[in-house]
Amino acid sequence: MNAKQPTWKKNLFRHEAILLVVLIAEWIFFDVIGRNFGTYDNSCDILRHSCEIGLLALAMTPIILTGGIDLSVGSLLGLCAILFGKFWRDAHLPIPVAALCTLGVGALAGGLNAALITRLRLPPLIVTLGTFSLFRGLAEAITRGVDTFTNFPNSFLFLGQERWLGIPAQAPIFIGAVIFFWLLVHQTTFGRTFRALGFAPEGVRFAGVPVERRIAMTYVLAGIISAIAAIIYTARLGQAKADAGNGYELYAITAVVLGGTSIFGGTGSVHGTLLGVAAIAVLQSGIVHALQPSEMAGMLTGALLILALTSSVLPKMISGLRARKSALKLSKPIA
Amino acid sequence: MKKYFRELSVAGALGILLIVLAILAPSFYSPQPLLSLAARASVSLVVALGMALVIIAREIDISVGSMFAVCSVCAGLFAAMHWPLALVIVASILVGAVFGAFNGALVAGLGLPSIVVTLATMVTWQEGLRWLRQGEFVNLPDGMQWFGFSQRLGQWTLVIGSIALLLLLALAMKHLSIGRFIYAVGSDAEVARLSGIPPRFTTFLIFVFMGALVGLAAIMNIVQSPQVDPQSGNGLELKVIAAVVVGGVSISGGRGNLWGVFAGLLLLACISPALTHLHIEAYWEKAIQGVIILLAVVAEGLRSRKALDHG
Repeated sequence: MNAKQPTWKKNLFRHEAILLVVLIAEWIFFDVIGRNFGTYDNSCDILRHSCEIGLLALAMTPIILTGGIDLSVGSLLGLCAILFGKFWRDAHLPIPVAALCTLGVGALAGGLNAALITRLRLPPLIVTLGTFSLFRGLAEAITRGVDTFTNFPNSFLFLGQERWLGIPAQAPIFIGAVIFFWLLVHQTTFGRTFRALGFAPEGVRFAGVPVERRIAMTYVLAGIISAIAAIIYTARLGQAKADAGNGYELYAITAVVLGGTSIFGGTGSVHGTLLGVAAIAVLQSGIVHALQPSEMAGMLTGALLILALTSSVLPKMISGLRARKSALKLSKPIA
Repeated sequence: MKKYFRELSVAGALGILLIVLAILAPSFYSPQPLLSLAARASVSLVVALGMALVIIAREIDISVGSMFAVCSVCAGLFAAMHWPLALVIVASILVGAVFGAFNGALVAGLGLPSIVVTLATMVTWQEGLRWLRQGEFVNLPDGMQWFGFSQRLGQWTLVIGSIALLLLLALAMKHLSIGRFIYAVGSDAEVARLSGIPPRFTTFLIFVFMGALVGLAAIMNIVQSPQVDPQSGNGLELKVIAAVVVGGVSISGGRGNLWGVFAGLLLLACISPALTHLHIEAYWEKAIQGVIILLAVVAEGLRSRKALDHG
């Protein structure tokens, strides 16, 4: 075990280093071929547009570390966005109160996932598939598919569209979330538990950790973060519709896996996720600036994910094949 | 009786829904709309059968919707080039099988988790198709609709064809060795390997078969209208996974049968028309679908917990 740990650490470092090189190469490439890509304004734009997916990816990281998954975050973003609109427009609540209520809804929805997963020990994949359908369905039912919330006050739209001290106004929230999740995953015992859970859940239970509570925590956090993302999303677009955040869960999972977190749980990092989010965001913005259709960015994101996955298992496969070959050679004389 | 409790309870729920409809909205049973409903459901049934095999083998494939769209557009283009009908069908199935083989190679060959692999291929094919075709519809030649039969006959062909496929597959799963292999691989791949079953090859074949079935379903769908809609596969993956799970196939592999899937699919397929006939707004469909999935997994969870407590 002791001899293994350094190589494992080295590998982890290597993955993130490669991703950083890819990111820089991407940046230089688009700066050369695109128009106005490398400007400060565009950097702010990239940050603005990747904020919501970035938040979801941050919340997804601890979940995937424990070996779980949450497919419902995109749908929950939609539900929270329209409930926020409902609270503000139809219940006549002031914006801050409406936002607080929305956070409560997010926590409740995350709690529903958590309860089903930990209390009944159901597989997260299928539970969140069910709530994926349920949350989006509720959003559609509440708005009857057509109702849109607009005309938010300018003081609220500031959060999504203006700059504060030279940076996009939503950036401080995102940076705060990054620091929070980095501390949580890398500097606290919680983070250690998440990783240990991904390796060996039964072992963690025997070590006396309240396994259910830790897992539940990750899903409730994801619910709250989805609600925050919903509010930022509404502020950025100036409207809330039932289809808000459609497909965001895919981008969030892609960013996490691209960032080097194992989909089986156990290994991964928040800074890796951050790099994954950046790689996707730069790709999307770059494609647009290179005057290519935006569908190409989606396609390349998928291809990038396949590549990242393949490159993560190929070395293991090759060494496995070699070991088998040498084993065969050894066994021949005996036979 | 006890062994098939899960399947029977789904069938029971379906029966209750049908009885409620018979009392409150007898108009649901007028033959022509019902036949159209069955023809549309037979498309999902074909995909759901493939998905059931995939999930029994403890994998999942969420790229079926994208594959479905790609196969539909390819088949439409082949048909527009005036290929004979039989050739178009074979070509569509082959296209599906190739895409399935790609998933299968990544999952079985490289040992990657199927959820992420098919997530990636889903995005890639979907966006690739949108990029190449820009959402354009394909107009089909005259002889294509309903295979050149009358509408009634065409719809009956689809319904009977899909039920024949269900029968064949259900028998194969029970009596052929490959069917037993699938259950064995889904229960415990390592034990399966030790007993001489090639788990990786089996998994690969299942993904290829899934793709081929998607190709077939795409044909069954495009013959129902004069145009090919490149968005027709949207959300198909969730619909069929829901049907499979509601039908009692365990998401952790190795358990379930195709008759349960059949009942689950019919139950979900009846919801949308039932809502209209019972004068409930159609916007509730997705929410109700979600609740049904959750109820199904909760029932499964409670049952396995009870089994754990007693064992």
